[in-house]
Amino acid sequence: MGQLVASRQKATSGMTEIGGGRQFLVFSLADEVFAIDILRIREIIEFGHVTTVPLMPDTVRGVINLRGAVVPVVDLVARFGRGQMQTNRRTCVVILEVGHGDDLQVIGVMVDAVNEVLEIAAADIEPPPAFGTRLRADFISGMGKAGGRFIILLDADRVLSVTEMASLGAALKTSAVDG
Amino acid sequence: MDLSQALNTFIDESHELLSQMESILLSAESGDCSDDELNALFRCAHTIKGSAGLFGLDELVRFTHVVENLLDRLRAHTLEFSPELVSLLLASKDQIAALIGAVVAKEQFALDEELLAILGNYDTSRSMAQCASETSQVTVEPSIASGTEHWHLSLRFGPDVLRNGMDPLAFIRYLGNLSRHMHVETLCDHLPAIAEYDPETCYLGFEVSLEAETSKAELESVFEFVLDDAHIVILPPDSKIEDYVSLIQELPEGKQRLGELLLACGSITPSELESALSLQRKNEGLRLGEILVGEGHVQSPVVDAALAKQKRGEERRQLESRSVKVPSDRLDALIDQVGELVISCAATQVQARRAVNPELLEAAANLLRLVEEVRDTALRLRMSPIGEVFGRFPRVVRDVAKELGKEIELQITGADAELDKAMIEKISDPLMHLVRNAIDHGIESPERRLASGKDLRGTVCLNAYHESGSIVIEVTDDGAGLDPAHILRKAVQRGVVTADVSLSDAEIFRLILEPGFSTAETVTNLSGRGVGMDVVRSGVETLRGNLDILSELGCGTTMRICLPLTLAIIDGFQIGIGASAFIFPLDAVVECIDLPADIGHSEYLNLRGEVLPFMRLGQLFGISSNHKARHNVVVVRFGGKSAGIVVDQLHGECQAVIKPLGPLFSGVAGISGSTILGSGEVALILDVPQLVQLAAAGAGGRSAAAYMAHH
Repeated sequence: MGQLVASRQKATSGMTEIGGGRQFLVFSLADEVFAIDILRIREIIEFGHVTTVPLMPDTVRGVINLRGAVVPVVDLVARFGRGQMQTNRRTCVVILEVGHGDDLQVIGVMVDAVNEVLEIAAADIEPPPAFGTRLRADFISGMGKAGGRFIILLDADRVLSVTEMASLGAALKTSAVDG
Repeated sequence: MDLSQALNTFIDESHELLSQMESILLSAESGDCSDDELNALFRCAHTIKGSAGLFGLDELVRFTHVVENLLDRLRAHTLEFSPELVSLLLASKDQIAALIGAVVAKEQFALDEELLAILGNYDTSRSMAQCASETSQVTVEPSIASGTEHWHLSLRFGPDVLRNGMDPLAFIRYLGNLSRHMHVETLCDHLPAIAEYDPETCYLGFEVSLEAETSKAELESVFEFVLDDAHIVILPPDSKIEDYVSLIQELPEGKQRLGELLLACGSITPSELESALSLQRKNEGLRLGEILVGEGHVQSPVVDAALAKQKRGEERRQLESRSVKVPSDRLDALIDQVGELVISCAATQVQARRAVNPELLEAAANLLRLVEEVRDTALRLRMSPIGEVFGRFPRVVRDVAKELGKEIELQITGADAELDKAMIEKISDPLMHLVRNAIDHGIESPERRLASGKDLRGTVCLNAYHESGSIVIEVTDDGAGLDPAHILRKAVQRGVVTADVSLSDAEIFRLILEPGFSTAETVTNLSGRGVGMDVVRSGVETLRGNLDILSELGCGTTMRICLPLTLAIIDGFQIGIGASAFIFPLDAVVECIDLPADIGHSEYLNLRGEVLPFMRLGQLFGISSNHKARHNVVVVRFGGKSAGIVVDQLHGECQAVIKPLGPLFSGVAGISGSTILGSGEVALILDVPQLVQLAAAGAGGRSAAAYMAHH
C-alpha cells in the first residue's frame, strides 16, 4: 500500500513534469465521456445486486458485497444532479479509492460502459474552464485533449467526497423522518 | 536483541507496576499498609528505575531515584505515611507515568523539577528533623561531595573460600567499619537449584560502593588473604568510564544486569552506563563468556554453569507467563477470517437445503455448529473484564473528592463483566466524565448532606452487568438528584427547547445531554450536572450504545450506559420488507406476533394486556411494498422498553458478521451496520435501541422529527 501511495504522489506531481504522461480510465455516463486517474482505480466489476440503504439520497445507490467487504455504490448521474442512472447490460461498477481524512475509503461508481485506458501527456491537460460545463467546477481536475476532443478529467476526491455525501444523507434523513 | 521490542516490554511492565503502586498507595492512605506492601512499593519504583537505566532514560532514572529513596525510608520505617506524603507519591507516580508516556510518544518531556525538589527536600528535611530531635547537639555534617570519595568494589568470591576458612560476610562487615556509607548489591546469579546446592560452596558475588577516606592499598590489604581464591576489582573514586567497561567485561553477569547493579550502587550515573555500554558494543563480535574464558578470568565450568542457570531461568519465566500477549491486529485478522468462514458455512447450508440432500444438510449443519464454536472462542479472545477500567476509578474518586472537600466512598460491583477490549478503551473517558460529574455535581457538600439527614460520606457506585446481549454500566450517586423544573427552566432560558413543550421527567433529564445546555456556569447554579454531558453522549453513541438518566430528587442519580458486547459478530433474526432484507440482533428480539387486521391508525398494540407502541419499518424507511398477506410484528426490547416493529416477512435466525458501513452512512437512522447473507447479498442490521426510542417517541405523541432533532 505504501508503494501505491508513493507512486500515486509521484503521478500527481507528474502534472508538472515536462512530457510526463498520465494514464486515465475513460468511461461513458449518460452519453458523456469522463476520465479518472488510473492510479485511483482498484478494479472494475459487473453491476450486480445492490442493497439499498434507506434514507440515503439518490447519490448513494446502496452497498455491494465485494469479496466480503461492504462497499458503497455511488450513482454519478445523481451526484451530478441529472436524475437517476438507468442500468443496462453493460453497466459496470468501477471500484476506486478516495481519501477520507487520513484513511482511504473504497467506493464503487456506476458507469454505463468502460471505454479505454488513455495516456494523456501533461502538456495536453488544460486547467478546468471557469464556465461552459454543466458540472460543478470543483469536480473537474482538468480537461484532457485526446484525438481532437476534450475529455473531462474528474477530481475523484471531490466528486466522491465522503463528508459531503454523508451530510447530504443526514439532511435527507431529517426531512424524510419529518414528513 | 531488538531493543524496541524490549522497550515495549519495559513500557507494558511499567504500566503494571505503576498501577500496582497506585493501589498500594491508596490502601496506605486508608491506613492499612503491611510491610509486604511497602516492600512491593519500593520494588516497583526500583524495577522501573533499573529498567529505565538500561534504556538510557536518564530523566526517568533521575526522578525515580528520588522517589525510590523516599520509599526506601518508608520501608525502613524511618518515615511514616501521611496523607500529604501519599498525595506527593501519587503525584510522583503520575509524573513517572507521564515520563513513560513521553517515551512511548517519542517526545521530549519537561520533568517537573518543582516536584522533584519537593521530593528531594521531603527526604532530607524529614530525616534531618528526626536527627535533630533525637540528639539536639548533633551538627549536621556537610554532605559529602558526591563521588569524590566514592569507591567501587567488585567482589567475586571463588567457590572454595568457605572451605578455606574465609567468610565473605566478614570482609563486608569490615568494609562497613571503614566507610561512612556503604551500599551492597548481592549477586545470586550463580546459586544452583536446591538439589545441587552445596552449603560449603560460595556462590555469591557482591558489588559494593563505599564512601570512605581510604587508599587503594588499604582496601587491597583487606582482601589480602583471599586474593588467590577470589576475583577482586577495586575502582578508586573518579575512575574512568573505561575502567567500568573493563569491569563489565570481566564479570560473568552480562552487561545489562551488571549495569543495573552499578547503577543501584550509585557508582555510576545512567549516562556513564550508556557510554560504557556503547563502548562495549564495539566488542560485540565475541561473546562475553568467550572473552572471559579467553582472558582466563573465569574457568569454563563456571561459564557453563552460568549458562545452564540462565536457561533454567528462561524456562521458569515461560511457565510463569500463562497469558499471551498478541498484537490486536492479528486477533482482528483471525476474527475477520472466522467471520468469512461463518458466512461461507451459511452459504453451504443454503445450497444443501436447495439440493434436498439430507446427508449433505446434516454435514453442513455440523460444520456450521463447529464453526460457530470457533467463532465464539475467537470472539472471547477479545473480551476483557470491565474491571480494567473500573480499576482506575479509586484514584480518580480520591483526587476529585479531596479537591472538592467531600467524603466519597466508591463501591464497585460487576467488575468481571466482560466486553470487547477495543470498547473498554473507548468507554473509559465517558465513564470518567460521569464519575467526576457524580462527585462534583451529584453529591452535595457535607453540610448540606447533614442538613438533609444523610450520611456525611457520599457514595458513588460503579456497576456493570450483562443484559440481553448488551453490557450495562451504571454510575450511581446518592446525591441531590436532578430537579426537572430547574433543568426545564434553564433549558428554556438557553433556547434548547421552547417554553410551551410538555415533557416527561425522563425527557427533561435528557436535555442535559444537549450541546447547548452545558456550560460551566449553568452547572454551578444548578443542582444538576452538565459539564460536557453532550461529549459523554456522543462517546457512548459512537460505540452504538445508549445513555439513560434515572434520577429522583433528593435521593440520587443513576447514569446508565448500554453498550453492545462486541462490534464483530451477532446472532441475527432476518426479516423482509418488500425486496429488502434486514437483520435484527437476536438478543433484542422477544417474540413475533401477527399484526391484527383491525389495527387501523392506532399507534399501540395490546400485548396480553400491556401497551406496546409499534411502528411500521417500511414507512420509516420509505420502502414501498405490495405485501398483501398479514403483516408480522417483531417485538423487540432494549433498555427496559419494548416496541413492536411491523415487517412483511419473517425469515428466521442467521449468523451475522457485522461489517461496518463506513463514514458515508454515519448519519443513517435505524441502521447500525451491515452483514453479508449466505446468498452473498448485503443485508442491513437494524439499530434496535434507536428503533425502540423512535417507536416510543412516536407513540408518546411526539413526532419522530422532534426525536431526531434532539439527537
